[in-house]
Amino acid sequence: MNLRPHHFLLWAAFIALMFAMPQFVGNGTLRTMIFACYLAIFAISWDILSGRTGYISFGHPFLVGIGAYTTAILTRRYGFPVEASIPLAVLFTMIGGLIVLLPALRIKGSYFALVTLAVMELMYQLVPVVRPDLTGGTRGISRLPALTRGAENGYYLAAGLMLAIALFAWLLMRTRLGTALWAIGMNEESVRGSGLSTTRLKSFAFLVSAAIAGLGGAFYAHYLGTITPRAFFDINVLFQIIVAVLIGGAGTILGPIIGAFFMVFMLEWLRPFLPGQERFFVYGLIALLLYMYQPKGIMAIIDSGWAKLRGART
Amino acid sequence: MNALEIRDLVKRFGGLTATNDLSFDLAQGESLGLIGPNGAGKTTVFSQIMGELRQTSGTITFMGEEISTLSTPDRIAKGVSRTYQVPRPFTDLSVRENIRVGLMPDSLRAMIFGTGDTAREGEIAQSVGFATADLDRPASELAMGDLRKLEFARTLATGAKVLLLDEVFAGLTTGEIAMIAELIQDLRQRGFTFLMVSHDLPAMEPLIDRAIAIERGTLLANGSFKEVLADHAVRASYLGEA
Repeated sequence: MNLRPHHFLLWAAFIALMFAMPQFVGNGTLRTMIFACYLAIFAISWDILSGRTGYISFGHPFLVGIGAYTTAILTRRYGFPVEASIPLAVLFTMIGGLIVLLPALRIKGSYFALVTLAVMELMYQLVPVVRPDLTGGTRGISRLPALTRGAENGYYLAAGLMLAIALFAWLLMRTRLGTALWAIGMNEESVRGSGLSTTRLKSFAFLVSAAIAGLGGAFYAHYLGTITPRAFFDINVLFQIIVAVLIGGAGTILGPIIGAFFMVFMLEWLRPFLPGQERFFVYGLIALLLYMYQPKGIMAIIDSGWAKLRGART
Repeated sequence: MNALEIRDLVKRFGGLTATNDLSFDLAQGESLGLIGPNGAGKTTVFSQIMGELRQTSGTITFMGEEISTLSTPDRIAKGVSRTYQVPRPFTDLSVRENIRVGLMPDSLRAMIFGTGDTAREGEIAQSVGFATADLDRPASELAMGDLRKLEFARTLATGAKVLLLDEVFAGLTTGEIAMIAELIQDLRQRGFTFLMVSHDLPAMEPLIDRAIAIERGTLLANGSFKEVLADHAVRASYLGEA
């Protein structure tokens, strides 16, 4: 695995910084950070499948939505405790994703992306009309049990979950399996030609990705307290996830986190100047310029800066 | 026991017959040249042996065991592997990591919890001519000759004893051809079995024990390199002689 002490030191510093945040910022900023943490979780989930293997999923909001709706239905309709509903939400997301999206892994490129997009749109159309007594129809489900009280506790939960998932993904991607997934993104035929079953590898990546999406979706639903179809099975949710990964740097762990925080905070900073939808235009322009300057994202800019710094020292 | 036995192999793509009732053997330790004009079906034969294409009919036997219905990874696990006309490296991975992919066991558990064999990665890299300093170079920085070496290394890393080399000299400079030819000779001395395709007949001649020629998927001639090239049908189809 080739782990070095400085890897753990960097992680420890990052975790310490995240947990010290409430001492320096107000509740408003903390609430923004909570949203950024959940977006980062969804972005890490997307990156494990799409950023690594190159199979661009447009259906991740579908996975996030399954997790959110499962825990919402179980807690509000059937009185399940959250300790049971959240693990079941993860399980249901994996199973649901497996049934609906896994067959799509046999097709490639834009076809895979289109099938996953169709699945997400299908869910948006179906959720309000199929068993509205369970899903709440277009109004969704409200008064979900809260996991924490107050912005600070909500932040610690979201940040803790994000860091745990990021650490897990980092360790997983440092194994030979991570290398193999990365190799699939570069040349799938060569991976098969190296004697590896790419279907098995992609399925595993998909299941891990789905589990993280379901886990994040379930926690996010309890944080919001109310869920509606448009809040999850929506193309804007999809774009937020993908843009966060692309801005931060696909195929990295810190990239999706940086991208999510960059995106969320930029939108917040633009709000006083552009309170309407036009801030998305400015935001899109900045994201586009950044992407044109460095298609591999902010992480590549940091890496090249770090390399130059080390070069200057030696 | 033969390393490979191809019997009555047929591959049809709709109305086109790419492999037409083809049969030949490849003995263990032998180096066999497969020649034919463009579109003769040489690469299609390779793809069928590797399971990348499923034959319409016929059988493929490897070391006495029929492998006609096995998946590509299962065939590679048996000990047969191939290189491609255009090298297919993992460009963002280093030389070492490219070889690591070839060494990986086809098991998720072993990939996650097992430890890699970095010494073996280095040994394989050195066996095909890479220097220690090359190990951490990204594949995207390699010249064509080095990419060919890398493909050899990844193929050897799978544990293959029978190597199918497709247009192994394509795109190489004279110096690189000599380097790859030397590598093949070295591997022959170490007991590897080869089935190779090349349009560079002068470069291929000293590397093979025997040759077969095909046209439109049909066997034209089978014998020594000189016998095959002297065959009337081969000269007509391959060299354009009346």
